[in-house]
Parts: sequence; structure tokens; C-alpha cells
Amino acid sequence: MTSLLTHNGILSPRRVTAVPLGLIASVATVVLFAIAVASPGLIATHGPFALHLQESLHAPSLTYWFGTDESGRDLYSRVVYGTSQSLLIGLGATGVSLSLAVLLGSIAALSNRFAAGVVNRVIEVLFSFPTLLLALLLVAILGPSILTQIFAVGIGTAPGYARIIRGQILSAKNSGYVEAAISLGHSRPRILRQHIIPNALRPLVAIIALSVGQSIVWASSLSFLGLGVAPPSPEWGALLDSGRAYITQAWWLTVIPGLVIVALALAATTLGKYIQKALERGER
Amino acid sequence: MPKKTSALLPTLALALGAALALTGCGAGTAAPAGNAAATKVLGGTIQYAHQQEPSCVFGGWIEQAYLSYQVLDNLVSLDSNHKVVPWLADSWSTSADGLTWRFTLKKGVTFTDGTPVDAAAVAYNFDYWLKGGNSTAQVWLAGYYKSAQAVDSQTLQITLSAPYPRLADTLTQGYFGIQSQHALTTRTAAQNCEAPIGSGAFIVKKWNRGQNILLTRNTNYASAPANAKHSGAPYVNAIDWKFVPDATTRAAALKSGQVDAIYDVPSIEWSTLKSGGFQLDRYVTPGRPQQLTFNLSRAPFNDENVRKAFAYSLDRKAIVQTIGRGVIPFEGNGGVSRTTPGYSTAAAGAYTSDPAKAEALLDAAGWTGRDKDGYRTKGGTTLEVVLPYGAGSIINADGAAILQGIQEQAKGVGFKVRLVPVPQSELFAGAYAKPTEKDLSVGYWTAVTSGILYVNWKQSTAAAPNYNNAAFVNQPELEKIILAANSESDVAKQNALYEQAQQYIADHALAIGVYDRLSTLAVSPRLKGVWQENAQGGPVFDDAYFVK
Repeated sequence: MTSLLTHNGILSPRRVTAVPLGLIASVATVVLFAIAVASPGLIATHGPFALHLQESLHAPSLTYWFGTDESGRDLYSRVVYGTSQSLLIGLGATGVSLSLAVLLGSIAALSNRFAAGVVNRVIEVLFSFPTLLLALLLVAILGPSILTQIFAVGIGTAPGYARIIRGQILSAKNSGYVEAAISLGHSRPRILRQHIIPNALRPLVAIIALSVGQSIVWASSLSFLGLGVAPPSPEWGALLDSGRAYITQAWWLTVIPGLVIVALALAATTLGKYIQKALERGER
Repeated sequence: MPKKTSALLPTLALALGAALALTGCGAGTAAPAGNAAATKVLGGTIQYAHQQEPSCVFGGWIEQAYLSYQVLDNLVSLDSNHKVVPWLADSWSTSADGLTWRFTLKKGVTFTDGTPVDAAAVAYNFDYWLKGGNSTAQVWLAGYYKSAQAVDSQTLQITLSAPYPRLADTLTQGYFGIQSQHALTTRTAAQNCEAPIGSGAFIVKKWNRGQNILLTRNTNYASAPANAKHSGAPYVNAIDWKFVPDATTRAAALKSGQVDAIYDVPSIEWSTLKSGGFQLDRYVTPGRPQQLTFNLSRAPFNDENVRKAFAYSLDRKAIVQTIGRGVIPFEGNGGVSRTTPGYSTAAAGAYTSDPAKAEALLDAAGWTGRDKDGYRTKGGTTLEVVLPYGAGSIINADGAAILQGIQEQAKGVGFKVRLVPVPQSELFAGAYAKPTEKDLSVGYWTAVTSGILYVNWKQSTAAAPNYNNAAFVNQPELEKIILAANSESDVAKQNALYEQAQQYIADHALAIGVYDRLSTLAVSPRLKGVWQENAQGGPVFDDAYFVK
């Protein structure tokens, strides 16, 4: 995913000439999720916890769009009400991840050789852990909760982004315009403020969009493993986990929350790509 | 070249395909079918997928009893009519005052280490349990057991301090499996934990922690219980007792033929497996059902009205029938389950769903306010109750779904039930055991008699604390009834007293039943002769054989 950011060739604006269907679909998806967060009652058809004991394990129908679970709870409404929690985790984890990444990446790129060396090694050590393993480790230490999930996913994904940011800062630092600024006698803080930071951190906007989708997927993985939010929370990963017990009889309990996670991750990724392209056009 | 938008389609197609593949792979059907004329094959290894892995083979948890049953013999066994039948003991008798029991042992039985199963070894086991060798055997016998001694090599005498007419019934449970005295005294605790030495049908060969235990055939086995389907050594060579915690995986492994039998069949899989030709066994565990005990030591459940309001707020039957899909029985009785001798149907029917009554009781108890989420309040405090449960250990996935239903139903009258899933490791390390940590305790305790009431409701004193009393407040009046029942030799009178005790629990809303704990088994058509023993419902593989 991150490699897309560095291959500018495939993101040439000239190639997008027809109707940007992906963009429209992504914006529509994000708007829908935004409504689900702001006012879930507006689009939900039932309460997220309301039991309809006579309607247990009904396949998707006109009454229950996404079907019902073992207690007859409406899956569609649970997905809608679960959006805010899932997005909170996604955005929170992205916030934690990028804050940490900016801090580590900046030190690695801008400080003296010793500090940069130490931070680089730290990033490399963290990087050598698979993201999920690092997140699992944190959940094991801190115990499962939303906050833990945010930090576990945030810290787990930070090393990758730290490397990107370090690379961006280094390339800005060594660019011709910075050399020109140095030769013009601009002060170090001014060069940082006016040239390096804006140029190095611009791709972050796209990374944020990409990271939100990715974080939701990671957080869902933790919930799926029973290490996230406790049931009967409608958080998407928790929905996947509880649907697992019925996978042979009620496919909708796992497939639909899974597709919802895919839809949001795709929408966020597509938007991220368009934002990046827009920023590049702005540069030209 | 607006190609990028179409990338969505292949991705979605891939996701759908994966989903269908997932659901499809679980829908496989049974292996050989229509084997009416199947022939018996001697030998082979039974691949058995069990849910939970205990820390030792022998111990005070039912999961240990299931395992130790394969390896150890008991003095007596229970048949399908709840009659105590011979096992290591051929016969037994009680003195007129009920204080002395004599068991006559079978001759010529040896432990798998070669030492004889004699009265001295059995007497040693009794003292071993009481000294902490088995926590459950200890709580059953404490208060009644005085001593055990060998009258001669084949005669064991048990002396009690008070009559306990149901002693023989009690001794049929796996917690009372007899081990080699030589092994207990000469080997390390770790060795006796991993591979106890008994005289049973199988021997512990190897335990790969986290994976499986390999049990091999005791070729000299000659002490099968009177209710076994055959005497002599097992037909199969070994049992590969695997630990597969996930129920869906277990069911899928059985359907695909990877394993021959599974424990704890999810209710959702019941009908599919049945139509697929698998043998399905269901044992409704006697003893304490899956029930909720109220913590009487603190607000809000120190108020009887609030406890009753909680009981009336629930439609336990509806939720259990929905989740249980006709497999899990609803249980209204908070004392004992429906298969326990001395069960009271009156106590079981004490509380039916009546939200209006629940609301009135809460109003009367002063919980009249409402917070922003609609939960009741009193003096600014929300009516919140904490309900921790052993997720995946004491409470399986079906049980967890039932508890979620209870949470939602109680919310209807203004209770905020906080469900806390507690992992097995934390639960057994003592998490949420203190009265300051919870308001409701959920759980079962298997037993073959209503004597379980004594274990659960015995008064806790400084000298003899009872950590099994989840109400955390002594009930002297209740204990008096139970003690009278325990020592009553007339069965009808004893049952009447136990019923009275259950009624007391219902009248004061000390505990309410939810569902009966089950021991379920699904067996492949290629394996025959597997049955569930009658004291605890564990699988019996001694009589099992493969067919082709």
C-alpha cells in the first residue's frame, strides 16, 4: 500500500479523464458512514441490542436487510451502530500511529548522528515485529479495551509510517530548493518551517486516509481474536468474531460485517489516492 | 483509462469468493454412511476433539474428571437409572447408625505400575483427597469424613462423623478416582499431575501441552464397572485426546473426517450433524445448573425486592429456547438441575417473566430515578450490576449469547448489567472471586445428588471458610434444612427436605436458574460403542471400536 505513494508515475493526473467512479463511490460510502456515526438512529431500522427472539438467524430480507443473529438482533442496525466505535478506533489508532511516526521519523532524519542512529535502530526493532504480534503484546500487557485497541494498533503500525516520514524528510532536506535556501543564508528554523516540513509532511494527508482503513482492519482482527471490545458490542470486528460460531449456518453474520470493513477500507484508500493526486496537481 | 475504479469489483468478488469457500467448507457431510452391516475392526486410534485443557489429568474440575475417568477406576459407578453399581468394589454395606461403611474390593486388580489395588491403597486415596489432593472431593467429604482404614487387604472401612446415606452415589464421580499409592508417594507431584497411575482402561502416554494427550490401551484391564458394555481391555489401541477450543472448528473437523468424535456440540450444529448420520449424545448434567447467584453482601442485591425484580425482569425461558434451539433446556431452579434426585419443580417455576411486577418492586425499593440512558437510579447511583463470566471455560458460546439476552431483558426494567468476559487463565487465578468485584455469579457445579446444595450454601466461618458460597452471606436456616437432608436415610424424606431447601432459595431469591449444563458428544458413523458415563456425562471409549 505504501509503495503507491512513492511511485508517482501511476498517479499521473492525465490518466484520470473519465468520470471518477471510484471517487464518487468512495465519497458516498464515507458520507454514509459519517451519517452512521453522527446519527445512527436515522438510518438504522432497529435498536442495536433489541432482541427479536422469534426471528433468530433469519437470512437477509426486506425487514432485516443484513439478516439477524442468534438472538434475533438486526445485523444491519448493529453494523450501523458499530460504525462509531469502529471508526473511533480507526481514527484514534491513526492519530497515535502518525504522531509517533512523525516524532520518530523527524528525529531519525533531522537530529545528530547518535540520536538518529538510536531512533533508527528502535524503528528497525519495532519493524521486525509483525504488526499484529506487536498489537497482541500490548493487549496482553494492558488488557482488552477500546483504548488499548487504539494504542495497540497505533503503536503496531507506527514503525512503517516512521520510515516513510524519515524518507520524505531526508529527500526534502537534500533537495535543490533546500540547498538554494541554505546558500541564500536562510536560518535553519526558517528552512525547516518553510521548506522541509511542508514538503515532507504533505504526503501525510494521503497516508492518514490510507491508515484509517488499515487501522480498522487491524482493530477488527484484534476483536475477532477476542482481544478487543467485549460482546455484545456491535464493533465490526466483534461482530465478525461472534458470527464465527454460526458460520456454517448463517453466512451473513461473518460475510456482511467483513464486506463492510472491506468497503470502508477501500473507500478510505481510494480517497487517499485521490487526495494525494490532488496535492500533486497543486504542486504543479 | 478509468481503470482504477474497476479495481473495486475484483476485490469484492475475491471477498465474496473467500466467504463462500469458507461457508462451503463447513458444510461437508459425514464419512461412511449406511453401515448397518459394518464389521468391527480391532485396534486403531480414536481421534477425539475436546474443548478445554485442564492443568492436570486428575483434579477437582469436571474437565479433569472426564480425562481421569479414562485412566482411573472408582470404587463404584452409576448406571443409567441412577443406581450405584460395582466397580473396584464388588459390594458395600452401611452400619445401622450410618456412620460406618464397608467396601469389599475386587480381587486381583492391579494398578498399571504393577502394585495391587488393595484396601490400604484406597484408604490412602481418601486421606490424599482430604489433604488437598482433590479440591472437589475435599469439599464433598469435609464435615462427614473421619477416617478410612483397611480392615484386611480387600475390605475398606470408612468412618463418618455424621450419617451420609448418599456417600456411594457421591463416590461415582471422577473426583474420586483411585490412584496407585506407590505412585503418589514415590513420584513427583508433576508426574502424578501429568500422568496419574490408576487401574483404568487407558494409560497416559504423552501430554503435549496446548495440543493433545495420547492415551494408550491398558492391555491388562480387568476391572471395568458393572455397567460397562464389555469387560476386558479396550478394543482400540489409543485415544488421541486433542484440545480444540473453538466449537466451529471441532464440528468442521468431525464433518471432514479429521476426528472421530467431538465434545460440546454447538446447538446450531445439532440438526446438521444428526441428518449427516453422526451419533449425537446429550447428557443433562445433574447438580447445580447454570444459574445466577446474587451477591447479598452489597447493594443493590442485598435488597430482596431488587433480587426478585431482576428475576421477574427476565424471560429466561424464551432466551434459552431461542439460543438453545431445542438442545439446551431452560432451567428455572437456582439450586439444582432437573436431572438431580430431589429436584423441585415448584422452586423452578417461582419466577416467570413479569416486567410490570419487576418495575413495581424496583419502585418500592427506591430505584425510582432514571439516568440519561434510561437506567434506574437511586440517590444519583445507577442500578448497575457486574456479571463476570468464564468465557470459553465455564460459559461456552451459546451460554455467552444467553447472558447477552439476559443483559438486554434486564435493561427493559432499568438494570444496567455489565457483562465481563473473563479468560480461563484469569478466572482460575482468582479474578472476580471477591464479593467486592461482582453482583452476580454465573456457573454450574456437576454432582449426582442434591448434596451439592451443601457445597454451595454451607456457612462460611473463620475456621472453615466456604469460598463456594457465591451469595457471600451465610444462610443458617437454609444450611439447617440441607444438613437434615444430607443425613436423612429415607429417600422420600430426604428428597422432601432438599426440595424445601430449593424453595427457600427461590423464596428469598438467593439464586435463579438459567439453563441446564449439558455434556454433548457427536461421534462419526465409523466409530461405534461410545457412550456417556452416567455420573458426569464424560465420553467412555473403553467399549468403542471402529467399523468398516
